[in-house]
Amino acid sequence: MFGFLEKSNNSATVAKNRLTIAIMSDRERMGVYPFMDEMKAEIIAVVKKYIGVRTIEVRKEISGEFEGISIDVELDENKE
Amino acid sequence: MGIVIAVISGKGGVGKTTATANIGLGIGLNGKRCVVVDFDIGQRNLDMILGLENRVVYDMVQVMDGEAKLKQALIKSKVSENLFFLAASQSKDKSVLDSNKVEKLVANLKADFDFIILDSPAGIESGFEHTIEFADAAIVVVNPEVSSIRDADRAIGILDSKSNKVKNGEEVAKYLIINRIIADMVESGEMLKSDDILEILNIKLLGKVPEDKGVIDASNQGKPVILDKKSIAGQAYTRISGRLCGKQIDMKDIEISDSGLFKKIAGMFR
Repeated sequence: MFGFLEKSNNSATVAKNRLTIAIMSDRERMGVYPFMDEMKAEIIAVVKKYIGVRTIEVRKEISGEFEGISIDVELDENKE
Repeated sequence: MGIVIAVISGKGGVGKTTATANIGLGIGLNGKRCVVVDFDIGQRNLDMILGLENRVVYDMVQVMDGEAKLKQALIKSKVSENLFFLAASQSKDKSVLDSNKVEKLVANLKADFDFIILDSPAGIESGFEHTIEFADAAIVVVNPEVSSIRDADRAIGILDSKSNKVKNGEEVAKYLIINRIIADMVESGEMLKSDDILEILNIKLLGKVPEDKGVIDASNQGKPVILDKKSIAGQAYTRISGRLCGKQIDMKDIEISDSGLFKKIAGMFR
C-alpha cells in the first residue's frame, strides 16, 4: 500500500543504478572501454608466461540475446 | 608559464559559467594573476555574471583574427586587480574557432597569467573540442541529477580522447565540482550522494557547492557570489579556489543539513 512512498525515499539509489547502466552502455557504444588497454596488457603478460604472443584483439560481440567479449590471441611461433 | 583549465559540463544550465566566474575571482583574490575566457561564441554570458558587460569593446575572436590586440581586449575586473576577462564574440558562431588560432591565443595568455580559465560551451560540439584541446586540466561541473551526470561522462570521454595532452601520451587532470546540492534531499535518499557520483564518473573531487538562492541574486547584480561572505555557495567557491591555489582545505560536508547535524550531535550524548 505504501510502496510508492518507499520508492520515492530511495530514488537516489534508483538513480545510481540507472546511471551506472546507462553510462556503461554509452561508453561501450563509443567504443571506449576505460579498462581495455589495461586488460589487454594483463592478458598479454599472462599468455607470454607460457607462449609467444604477437598481438591480442578484444571485440565485443552481440548475437541475438547474447553479448560476449571475444579475445583473439595471435601467437608468435618463433618464440614458442 | 600559466596553467590552462577548461571548465566543462556536457549538459548546459548546471552552473558552469557561474563556476568559472567565481573560481576566476577566487583565484584573483588569492593573489594569483588569472584570466577567464568565454569560449561560448554566440552566447556570451560570462560578462553578465562578472558585471562587465558594459566594458566589452573587443572580443576573443577579434584578437584571434588580429583585428584587436590582446591588451585592448582584456578587461580588468572591478573587484580584483588580478582578474582579467576576455569576452566571447556575440555576432559570430562557433565555427569561427580554428585550432591554430586558439593555440596561439592560449600561448599568449600563458605567458602573462598564472591561471587561464576557459569557459566551455555546453554540449560536445566543435566549440567544446577547441576549449579542451590545449587544456592542462579540466574542471567538470555537474548537478546531482541523472542527465547532467550522464552528459558529463560523455564530455569526459571526449576530453580523454581529443585533448592535445592525451594525444601526446600525457594525462589531463580532471576535477569535479558538484553544484546545487540540497542536503535535506541527500539525507532522505532523494538526491545522489557525492560519493556515488564520484564512483560513477571515476574522477577526483574539487568541491561541493550547495544550492543557494544567493547565486541568482548575485548574477542579477553582476557580483559573483564569492564576494558574499555569508553565502554558503560563495563560501564553497572560496574553498575551491583556495584548493586550486595550492591551499590545503578540508572538504566540508555540506551533505548534512543543519537539522541532520543537530541529530548527529544529539545522538552522541544518547
